[in-house]
Amino acid sequence: MVTINDYTSNYENQWCPGCGNFGILPAMKMAFVAQKLAPHELLLVSGIGQAGKTPHFLECNFIHALHGRALAVASGAKLANHNLNVVVNSGDGDCYGEGGNHFIHAIRRNLDLTLLVHNNQIYGLTKGQASPTTDKDMTTSIQSHGVSNRPFRPLAVALSLGAGFVARGFAGQKEQLAELIQAAMNYRGFSLIDILQPCVTFNHLNTFAWYKQRVVDVATLNHDARDFQSAMQLAMEWGERIPTGILYQHEEDDFTALNPWLQQGPMLQREYNANAINDYIDDLYRI
Amino acid sequence: MAVDITVKIGGQAGQGIQTVGDLLCQTCRQAGYFFLAINDYESRVRGGHNFFQVRISDTPVLAPAQEVDLLVDLDGVTYTQHASELNDDAIVLCMPEQNPAGHRTLHIDFTGLAKEAGNKAAQNTVAAAACLALLGAGKELCSKVVSQLFGTEEEKIVTVNQKALQAGFERVAQSDLKGWNLTWKEQQPAGALFDGASALALGAVAAGCRVGAFYPMSPATGIMTHLVQLAEHFPLVVEQAEDEIAAVNMVIGANFAGCRALTATSGGGFSLMTEGIGLAATTETPLVLINAQRPGPATGLPTRTGQGDLLFTLHASQDEFPRFVLAPATVADCFYTIQRAFYLADTYQVPVMVLVDQYLVSTSMLVAEKLEINPAAIPASMPKPPAKPETYARFAFTENGISPRLFPCQSQALVKATGNEHTPDGHSSENRENRIAMVNKRLAKLPSMKQEQRPPLLHHEQADWLLVSWGSSYGMVYEAVGKLRSQGLDVGLAHLVDIWPLPQEPLQSLLSGSKWILVEQNATGQLGWMLRAELGVEPKSSILQYDGRPLEVARIVSETAAKIGG
Repeated sequence: MVTINDYTSNYENQWCPGCGNFGILPAMKMAFVAQKLAPHELLLVSGIGQAGKTPHFLECNFIHALHGRALAVASGAKLANHNLNVVVNSGDGDCYGEGGNHFIHAIRRNLDLTLLVHNNQIYGLTKGQASPTTDKDMTTSIQSHGVSNRPFRPLAVALSLGAGFVARGFAGQKEQLAELIQAAMNYRGFSLIDILQPCVTFNHLNTFAWYKQRVVDVATLNHDARDFQSAMQLAMEWGERIPTGILYQHEEDDFTALNPWLQQGPMLQREYNANAINDYIDDLYRI
Repeated sequence: MAVDITVKIGGQAGQGIQTVGDLLCQTCRQAGYFFLAINDYESRVRGGHNFFQVRISDTPVLAPAQEVDLLVDLDGVTYTQHASELNDDAIVLCMPEQNPAGHRTLHIDFTGLAKEAGNKAAQNTVAAAACLALLGAGKELCSKVVSQLFGTEEEKIVTVNQKALQAGFERVAQSDLKGWNLTWKEQQPAGALFDGASALALGAVAAGCRVGAFYPMSPATGIMTHLVQLAEHFPLVVEQAEDEIAAVNMVIGANFAGCRALTATSGGGFSLMTEGIGLAATTETPLVLINAQRPGPATGLPTRTGQGDLLFTLHASQDEFPRFVLAPATVADCFYTIQRAFYLADTYQVPVMVLVDQYLVSTSMLVAEKLEINPAAIPASMPKPPAKPETYARFAFTENGISPRLFPCQSQALVKATGNEHTPDGHSSENRENRIAMVNKRLAKLPSMKQEQRPPLLHHEQADWLLVSWGSSYGMVYEAVGKLRSQGLDVGLAHLVDIWPLPQEPLQSLLSGSKWILVEQNATGQLGWMLRAELGVEPKSSILQYDGRPLEVARIVSETAAKIGG
């Protein structure tokens, strides 16, 4: 039987004490254990940033890739072997900034991936610059007169691109987050969970307390996750109330179901057929 | 007398000169002739001036000719632009309103005859028919080829083109022009029709490639188009990525998961991929990447050719790591080189970059030799995980620097990798000793990588003078050497195909203290730079062409002769 301890990594954790990531890590483990996934049955793909380091702090297969590119690497891995259970750890800078284009098109591509965006609304690893989701007017060492760019609304963007599973979690609510991760992994297709994650070192605006006062589970709002319009409204909400939970879910054929080769099984399992290749070449030499 | 005839057809983009070319090439092929055809096109979808030029011969040819025997002007500007290339007894086919003074001319109302046949678009078939008639081809053979080429279209289109063919033949019969009396009879083709792009794609399939990812960019797009066509027959998933960054990272992801994967790009796209090359290098994930060069910088000449990326490819991505750079010499060599690329990438777990260019990928020719699967390039199955899976370390130190590679989720052993510097078990590490050991481990592959390298292709290498060249220019430099020798000049050839790691011998002994001339398609002599750095050798002179057009045999001959005082 798989237990939480199976996921314990001996590698030294490098996050700041009190980091919001310490809420996400156990939620991931809880979800994987609940899914009865052993560490060798899971592949984590991550980008760069504090979120990108996540795979080192669990015991499982991983590729900790380049800044912004995690989704592209994960997509390639799924094209090769769509039986893989792939979870992507990214951050707001990694996914919505550097990897913005990959975010957009990974949603359109609709491979069966689960994307966890550790969204702390700040660049942590590079020490406190604004990220695409930093609130307007917040001052940083670089945006010294306050952020002037409008914030990126990831859930609304994902919805507009037709994403079939769009959710928001909060690092301060592990149980809810673990359930969201499970639901996302069970969803066949691209699933996004934007996770509110306080940065205790560089973001003194969006703190644990700040989020705690505002988060509201959509389950308590009588929201129907099949209702796109209502989901879009909730996705744009940001301020006094911040909705969490599954905002939108609908079933649709994923990339694998639409590809004639992949329908027959993962590429990795295809045998090399020299005869077929030789026959094809022979034909080219005939009239 | 040996057959060596060059036909050039000029027209606007969208006028269908490719169809003329296909008809000519297929008819030649089915009559047992050899040919080599180049496409010259502008970066536009309609209009402009493009041409297709085919050299027909009864022996294999590896280079285009500079002199034209039969010119077809479909756009009203072809004659003016190419008059200087015409032989004295050349024939010009043009519209009635044109008057190419001083040349044998046949006026043909291409569009008028095509309209009579049923569709203006069949003007290209009228032109092809007139060419074939002048070359002495039988109408029956040509008619058969038309049916084959248009066979997948509606019946009406086949009929229109058959009528257009008839009209072209009749127009030639009405004239008293004397063309060429080639022998045309249907026989077993002397080979198959390939261009560099199709040979690369087929070679990838022969090497068990299962995933392709790319972003469209001239002149590399054709490679992926052919790969998509092959995916109709072979298990292969080809995905158009959102950009080249995604394409290269997808290929890395696919390789990491255990499938051979390919990407192809050019110029700016290759620049975007450089970041990913580093990820492949440090995670020791096999990567096969084709850079189909076009002249730059920036957008440069999108549809033209050059060899300006040699040093860039040699150094692409930050810091130092082992890599292969291979540059196939011919269309057939594309098929073999890409197979080797997959073998080398897997064996050494390094990036392998294949340098081709617009000339090579879009040059179509009759390949006489039967292309064979390279048994060494057939993918091996995943190595067995260790008996104690928990002891597995993806980047374990070994004598030759190659660590046993496992695929994720295929055994109990965990596969961990990162683009950060890392410990043998794949975790990030800033430890100083570990850093040194890991750099050394990766570079330890170099001596055995060097052993894999093919020596340069040599011809008359003991000659007084050597021409030294690389990659796609082989056919042109080879033919130039033959011509120079027939003029009584003692000239040989050393042509590099495996560029990096540089095979030291026999180049070192051949080039040290001897007289050699660099022949390259860039402005600064990049191969010379590399040979100087690696071998301490210096060319006596260089012939550099960087106009974006295919290297000219005549120019190599005249410049070499002038340089060596012949």
